Amino acid sequence: MANTWGYGAMTNSLGDIQNARSIIIFGANPAVNHPVGFAHFLKAKERNNAQIIVVDPVYTKTAAKADHFCQIRPGTDIPFMYGMLNIIFKNGWADESFINDRVYGMDLIKEEAKKWTPEKVADVTGVPADKLIQITTVYAKNSPGTLIWAMGLTQHTIGSSNTRLAPIVQLALGNMGKAGGGTNILRGHDNVQGATDMGCLSNSLPGYYGLADGSWKYFAKQWNVDYEWLKGQFQSPEWMNKNGFTLARWWAGVLDGKNGNDKIHNGKTGLKALFVMGNGITSVAQQAKIKEGLDNLELLVLADPFVNEAAVLTDKQDDVFLLPAATQFETEGSVTATNRSAQWRRKVVEPLYESKPDQEILFELSKRLGFYDQYTASMKDSSGKFTWPEDATREIARIIKTIGLTGWTPERLKKHTDNWHMFDQVSLRGYGEMKGEYYGLPWPCWTENHSGSPVLYNTNLSVKDGGMGFRNRFGLEHDGVSQLAAKGSAPKGSKVDGGYPEITRDNIEEVLKIKLTEEEKKKIGKNWKVDRSNIIAQKCMEAGIAPYGNAKARARVWTFPDEIPMHREPLHSPRQDLTKKYPAYVDKDNHFRVDTKYISKQTEQDWSKDFPINLVTGRLVNMNGAGMENRASKYLAALSPEMFCSINPDLAGQLGVRDGGMIWIHSPEGTKIKVKAKYSYSVSPDRVFLPFHFAGHFQGEDISHKYPKGTKPYAIGESANTVTNYGYDIITQIPETKGGLCRIERA
Amino acid sequence: MSEMSRLKFYCDEGRCIECDGCSIACAEAHELPAGINRRKVITLNEGKEGLEYSLSIACMHCNDAPCEQVCPVDCFYIREDGIVLHDKETCIGCAYCLYACPFGAPQFPREGAFGAKGAMDKCTMCAGGPLETNSEKERHIYGQNRISEGRVPVCAAMCSTKALLVGDAQEVSAIYRERVLARGHGVQTSPMTWSRAYGAK
Repeated sequence: MANTWGYGAMTNSLGDIQNARSIIIFGANPAVNHPVGFAHFLKAKERNNAQIIVVDPVYTKTAAKADHFCQIRPGTDIPFMYGMLNIIFKNGWADESFINDRVYGMDLIKEEAKKWTPEKVADVTGVPADKLIQITTVYAKNSPGTLIWAMGLTQHTIGSSNTRLAPIVQLALGNMGKAGGGTNILRGHDNVQGATDMGCLSNSLPGYYGLADGSWKYFAKQWNVDYEWLKGQFQSPEWMNKNGFTLARWWAGVLDGKNGNDKIHNGKTGLKALFVMGNGITSVAQQAKIKEGLDNLELLVLADPFVNEAAVLTDKQDDVFLLPAATQFETEGSVTATNRSAQWRRKVVEPLYESKPDQEILFELSKRLGFYDQYTASMKDSSGKFTWPEDATREIARIIKTIGLTGWTPERLKKHTDNWHMFDQVSLRGYGEMKGEYYGLPWPCWTENHSGSPVLYNTNLSVKDGGMGFRNRFGLEHDGVSQLAAKGSAPKGSKVDGGYPEITRDNIEEVLKIKLTEEEKKKIGKNWKVDRSNIIAQKCMEAGIAPYGNAKARARVWTFPDEIPMHREPLHSPRQDLTKKYPAYVDKDNHFRVDTKYISKQTEQDWSKDFPINLVTGRLVNMNGAGMENRASKYLAALSPEMFCSINPDLAGQLGVRDGGMIWIHSPEGTKIKVKAKYSYSVSPDRVFLPFHFAGHFQGEDISHKYPKGTKPYAIGESANTVTNYGYDIITQIPETKGGLCRIERA
Repeated sequence: MSEMSRLKFYCDEGRCIECDGCSIACAEAHELPAGINRRKVITLNEGKEGLEYSLSIACMHCNDAPCEQVCPVDCFYIREDGIVLHDKETCIGCAYCLYACPFGAPQFPREGAFGAKGAMDKCTMCAGGPLETNSEKERHIYGQNRISEGRVPVCAAMCSTKALLVGDAQEVSAIYRERVLARGHGVQTSPMTWSRAYGAK
């Protein structure tokens, strides 16, 4: 996403889905994961006669509400989407003027799409050719169409190719930058967008500032800390700019390449301590490896309102600490919704018992580690005092220019939350006192009186009303082709009729056709991303110019191993014949500090022989993420008191498994789980579905006695992630939980 | 009795996604013991393409409620607004009402070594019982009395997709009509369950 057009975020909003005439959903199950947001889908269907299309390996609750459904084989979204593009281009349904003016590299996509005839797609994906043609026709003919996805598209070794090809489908149809269109990625938890924006990533600083000296210097200055001091915190300066470990593979850092584990590149030491805040460990792939990692730590700290499963999974006896963290109701501050809107949350009660809100825990930690003063330096006033969380919010607004958080002052955010009834739920447009603003000021919100941007890349609005073109992020030209948007495709009211580069101190006068005063010249920052004076953004608003430029989206990402998305079979594929034709990537060394296997894993053996069944994981409606707090609620737990496996009666019958009988699920990792079989027609006989919310059993053994007294949840069971397979995305390292293999035996 | 003040339930099978928000909200609000399901979500043909439907079901508070007609101890009473309630202190747990009920609404706690049935429990449309309104005892035996405070029953208030509606029959009918017209297909003239619960009109 970010590599296609600048930002990796949902482009429209949940409410805006009501404007769609067709809705195609890949690997997402909003009826289960976003039940309240799903009302907008249902209203689109009811009021707009929108056609809902679901492409999923499982007949989900969302599929039950769809007009069209196709049961795709896990990991074959790319052939499916190329199949759609094949039909779209062949029939002349593509929006050629949009492609010409605002997209780079579509010709390569057209070439690749030619290869994916409906018949070939049918062979690879398992979706009949006539179904593909029907779905494509419905989607292309009912415009605008919105494209929805979630983890079903991302959690693959080729996840980053999937999430590029989906935007390309939308670009081809001209569905971008308009109400009812867009690529709407549904974030899976409260404030995931906010956590990502704030840099809970090991490859960037907050606000997606890259790991580079320039960014560190900018942040050092904004944080009021000495850059040299910051540098001194690292083992040696070169580590400042290297990617860290990821959530998916931190355990490899602990295991340090021993006993045949993947080698690491981490300053000559393994990881020794793990500090977990609000991440249920049962939701992460490869539980057996995680257990090994936990067991080998020197220190394990778990800060959660409930007991994190990590405490139960590990055999570690000493130096395991449970810190009682407060819930969101016991603290205050802003959170960011899936559509980039902020919301202010007020404290409902004081933290119960000895629990503390996360920031208190981190402040105390920084005191013990000796950097509290630096940690809080930029929030403090001249007398050394600060107010939480307002001063933190101001710090964010002051520093984060890349995604336009300048307008997110605590005063404005509070006013929005207090007046939420004065906004339209479909357009997010405010009325009455809130006129001229969109609910939650969806970023980019360029200035302190900017309206917010409800739909990204919409050129039908002026920049000050939330309009913009695609971001100029990848240079001015590639292979001699200009990367700027064509003439006539600037946002409404723009001083420049066409593309323009991102705005810097050096080009502002030329692009905006203005003269800066000497005073302004003195104050202005080097470019829009580091312009603390905000003069660039101010001047841009006056000229109807987006500070980040107006460029073409790119279908071709020349820095990726596959310049255009290419199909590659999952590492563990049931179609061994296709792994030769569409092999995995070559192995990648030092991928977020860990050597990661691709082709060597895929070709290690014919996995499908011993493990013939596809394995898909997902969620249940009564559980959220790891289900840590939900399993501890008696009413929620009662809906799914134990772990189960959805299995087609045909498959079960062949294996002699009865409905409600126990089965062993074996994985290529050499791990196994014992779970209850639940007959279900939602899965075809070649695959099974596992919910991933359970913990307390491990490979057939009940380990729930390890919960501290009085904390054992009502629902316990095996973690699905004990049998998810090895496999990580080539760019992001997200684990492949949606396309593995397994073998099922009666227990 | 004016039709204006008749309260009815309606669950839209086009919108119900089996999220169980209604049943959980109900259990939480009334602090129901395990095994007592005043409201439940039923899914038919789970996993079968084009045939899967879900519907939230509880006591429908019928016209001429069959439970009331068969009760040997006459513990039922019907309010002016149509809400069917019963006196738990009179109920003998015979379960005749369960056999009479077309919706399987009555619930019975199982007590003691032989699982003897206790007094029947069912949806009150969040209107409490025959005891003093909003008294501690009413809350303990019948659960919250939200209707007396002018609040919507908790199940419908919680419904994530607004599939489950409750309120004035004419208001509910108007919303149903609007949705049917908007969908522009089908000739169903009244909501599922209504002909059985409320008769032909």
